[in-house]
Amino acid sequence: MFDPYNIFDWAFLVPLLPALAFVFVGLLGPRLKRLEYGGWLAVGFGGAAMALGVTLAAEEMLSPGTYTDQQYTWLSLPGNGSGAFPNGFSLVVGTLVDPISALMLIVVTVVGFLVLLYSIGYMHQDRGLPRYYAELSLFLAAMNGLVLSDNLLEFFLFWELVGVCSYFLIGFYYEKPSAASAAKEAFLVTRVGDILFLLGIFVYFSTYATRGAAGGWAANGFPFVQGNAPYLAGAMGGHSTTLTIAGLLILGGAAGKSAQFPLHVWLPDAMEGPTTVSALIHAATMVAAGVYLLAVASLFLGFTPTDQLAIVAIGGFTSFFAATMALVNPDIKRVIAYSTISQLGYMVLAVGAGFAMVGLYHLFTHAFFKALLFLAAGSVIHAVGTQDLFKMGGLGKPMRITGFAFLVGGLSLSGIFPFAGFWSKDDILSSVYGTLATHPLYWPFFLMALVTVFLTAYYIFRAFFLTFSGSAPRDPGLGHAHEGAWVMTGPLLVLSGLAIVAGLLPFAHGFGSLLPGAGIPPNYGSTDLLLSGASLGLAGLGIGLAYYLWGNGRVFALADSSPAQPVRRLLLRRYYMKDAYDAVGTRGVYGLARGADFVERYMIDGTVHGLERAFAGLSDRLRKIESGVVLDYAAFLVSGLLFLLLFLLVIGPWVASNGGL
Amino acid sequence: MLPTLSILLLSLLAGTVLTFLAGKAARWVALGTSMLFLLEVGALLANFTWPGVNASGVPQYGFAESYPWITLPWLHISYTVGADGISLPLILLTAILQLVTVVYSFEETRKPAAWFGLVLLTCLGCFGVFISLDILLFFLFWELVLIPMFFLIGYWGGLNRRYAALKFFVYTHVGSIVMLVALLVTAFYSHAPSFDFAGLYGPAQALGVTTQVFLFAAMLLGFGIKFPIVPFHTWLPDAHVEAPTGGSVLLAGLLLKLGGYGLIRWGLELLPTGLVHDQPLLYAVAFASIIWGSVIALAQRDLKRLVAYSSINHMGIVLLAIAVDSNLGLLAAVLLMFAHGIVSALLFMVAGSVHHTFGSRDIASIHGITPRTPVLSTMVMVGSLASLGLPALISFPAEFGALLATWDRIGYWVLIPLLLLVVTAAFYLWMMQRMLFGPMEGVPEGARDVRWPEALAMSLLVALTVLYGILPGLLTNVIIHSPVYGLP
Repeated sequence: MFDPYNIFDWAFLVPLLPALAFVFVGLLGPRLKRLEYGGWLAVGFGGAAMALGVTLAAEEMLSPGTYTDQQYTWLSLPGNGSGAFPNGFSLVVGTLVDPISALMLIVVTVVGFLVLLYSIGYMHQDRGLPRYYAELSLFLAAMNGLVLSDNLLEFFLFWELVGVCSYFLIGFYYEKPSAASAAKEAFLVTRVGDILFLLGIFVYFSTYATRGAAGGWAANGFPFVQGNAPYLAGAMGGHSTTLTIAGLLILGGAAGKSAQFPLHVWLPDAMEGPTTVSALIHAATMVAAGVYLLAVASLFLGFTPTDQLAIVAIGGFTSFFAATMALVNPDIKRVIAYSTISQLGYMVLAVGAGFAMVGLYHLFTHAFFKALLFLAAGSVIHAVGTQDLFKMGGLGKPMRITGFAFLVGGLSLSGIFPFAGFWSKDDILSSVYGTLATHPLYWPFFLMALVTVFLTAYYIFRAFFLTFSGSAPRDPGLGHAHEGAWVMTGPLLVLSGLAIVAGLLPFAHGFGSLLPGAGIPPNYGSTDLLLSGASLGLAGLGIGLAYYLWGNGRVFALADSSPAQPVRRLLLRRYYMKDAYDAVGTRGVYGLARGADFVERYMIDGTVHGLERAFAGLSDRLRKIESGVVLDYAAFLVSGLLFLLLFLLVIGPWVASNGGL
Repeated sequence: MLPTLSILLLSLLAGTVLTFLAGKAARWVALGTSMLFLLEVGALLANFTWPGVNASGVPQYGFAESYPWITLPWLHISYTVGADGISLPLILLTAILQLVTVVYSFEETRKPAAWFGLVLLTCLGCFGVFISLDILLFFLFWELVLIPMFFLIGYWGGLNRRYAALKFFVYTHVGSIVMLVALLVTAFYSHAPSFDFAGLYGPAQALGVTTQVFLFAAMLLGFGIKFPIVPFHTWLPDAHVEAPTGGSVLLAGLLLKLGGYGLIRWGLELLPTGLVHDQPLLYAVAFASIIWGSVIALAQRDLKRLVAYSSINHMGIVLLAIAVDSNLGLLAAVLLMFAHGIVSALLFMVAGSVHHTFGSRDIASIHGITPRTPVLSTMVMVGSLASLGLPALISFPAEFGALLATWDRIGYWVLIPLLLLVVTAAFYLWMMQRMLFGPMEGVPEGARDVRWPEALAMSLLVALTVLYGILPGLLTNVIIHSPVYGLP
């Protein structure tokens, strides 16, 4: 029941406020005297949502627990005591606040608000400003709804909605063909994952629903109730195959959203959208939803050991695989995009190895330092009008705040002590390392993750040096770069602060209750210390190499005859995976469709036309005698009536008199 | 007890006749008639209570009326009408689509009295089909629908309209004959003394397995041509391409639903054993329609053909949901028919407006229209997203239910419709990419955004798409008051 004195019962406002902003800005925005007013309206609603979201998180810290409020039965089927759903079921849409959703609320509402504010400056010249703010507000509504979902189906509902918002925002500059194409690609590739996720929901749902009443699942679809994993494992007892398949299907969904191999191809192309969108959707929040899903599933639904191995493999491999592509890319946004895929791989690895909280810990810190990197990159792009690293250079002087922000983000991403990324990445490595004794199959993926520490530090500092070091831009046309307005630098400074301190969260009193089990393991020992040292050393090595090759305005060029050239080409062409997908997906399926269309026109319809001619030369008469049409029609109608009469007057009585057939 | 349904039928009939006679005022009469009818249907829904099944298990109907009509020594034919949770959403759909069609074509100048009269007559026929509970009455209304639709395509249609009209007529008429034979044989084989549904119910269900299998298969063919099922579907794209926009809206929105409704009412309910034994056939036909409709839509350049083939895909999912023979499946089938009615109406209006505005519907030659026609583009997006099953829009709960029911009954076969959802998304997104986005091309100088009647009609459908997408319970709570409740 709704209790107005219970703050958790007001949680539904967190998604509703941005949804209202969507309606207001969408309808009124274009009619306001100045386009920015619509933007400020959205900022206001976003700020209110942040205030409530952070309050909810604070309440959750003070009294940890699971607070549900089921507002509305979305769809229900009454039971009739038989069949697959003897008790019927109702699908409920409600809110649930627990430690991890509170953690996610902080991420989504805070980064969301900062991005809304920053966009006032970044987008100020764009005529599509109302559309931008409407779509961004809708995204925030859907993302907050996803975080607060209290069951798997509701989760899926919002999961699809954030996907479509992402589609619109990637394609924001829709007049650019590449943007329109990237938007479509993102939607379709994630949709493949969504289909798998949906099937996973079916598997859980029916397996559960047929099995019984305990825990109230059959009645309510899929509440995420603590302690359901053991129940489900018990209910599926002898069905570990089913549980494994369900887990793999959930992994498929997560891989689509979180851009994990082999469904990662869309994320680099999604950089066609405004940089603010990349910061919010394609770094901090939506792409992290896949990791959140895996974490929720591992906590509340449970994975089998096979599932875990698959998740570890996908996560570990993706972290390495994506980092290699970031090494050579000339586009500042794409470097950060590959970095996002790689870091999401870390999180997936941690969740797969059984450390959901550690994965979420990295999700939390990553959200801030990656949003920071993107917004800093956005500030650069806003100032110089290009994304090409090789045209930039020497921007550290005119853009001190941006340079500082990028440096903080880079250090945090590289995992340098004491920045946020250090704590969470170290936690992942030492946690996974701890499982190696019992799970030797995790070894290769652990090593990939370890090597990635070096790659990460190298590629992000390559980007840093190319952008900010040196005396002047390599392209002389970019001479007049200057820092943006306070709405842009303000969020950069706030995020810089968060990128420094967010890693200390699990150690803070009270705050730590949002992430039980993350942080420094209780039995932190010499091995862990050694591992921390090793990863710091690797990161330092990466930064050093980057400085040696790119520092002080140097540009390192690989000789044409170098044996590394084919590797470089392979990485630049993204291992030819996008080409392969295009060949199969676009040309293959489209070719199939063209072939089918041919069959349709000339064989199926051709047969029909042949039959027509065979019967009465119908089509010929059709062309010659136009007035004949009505006659034909009359003839058909009469034939129908004759049929009826025949039955009524002849066959019927005959059947009746013979006592039936 | 008021003869409610007869009053509705008569009021619609009176309005139709007046419209034919009204000359220049026809559009106002048609508008008044369809608004009144929608109000009446709203009142119908508000006052609906389902009497359930009687002591011998025969389902009863709300607003039931029965009067003897033709009495032969061995057979009673009656005027029997009634409504339940299966028919009421479709009756509501009829009222909604009638109104939006009249509004959309409010500025029709070619023989307006005949146009609006025929639109109303089509809806009258559909309403009759949805309330009839007697074989002869059902058949008469069924045939009545064909005539106005034939003229709507044949007079107001495109260049090749006569061919399309005749093809439509021949196909659906062949279907009608097969359907009629199946219904009559069902009646005679069951030795029922009457043609009315209640009298047939027990005896038909008691028919032998072989008889039921053949009869159900015949009904699948008869009703299926209206669906349309692959491979008897080629009339549909042609009819749509040639039909005027209003004709397409009624054709896709209502006429296809007649097939689904008939198969549920006369097939699933009367011949349950036949359905169960015909399941392999039903699945094969449903999968064929789902795959074929979706894949071919991908190759279309004409916006209307694209939407037409996507209809074949969606109606395939309806057939699948009927075929699984479960309460959830039937619920989803009815919901999906309603959803498809609204969404396909919106999409055909969009296609019509694209044609009016740009003089062509060729996806390959019109590009980047969004800056010129933002309203129309928004409608294209909402319609496409609804059709590809985006949550919070009307099709999602229906498709979710249909696929869950399919999974529940035949397990991993559900991967076929699931994977085809990706293809469905692909052709809509591809169409949007080419038509709405990118640099502007193929747009005539004077092209303006949609006029107010068109915008109003489409906005109404968009509002319903969102409303029922967020609150599908408004419909499902009606649908369950039907034989859905009794299915396993």
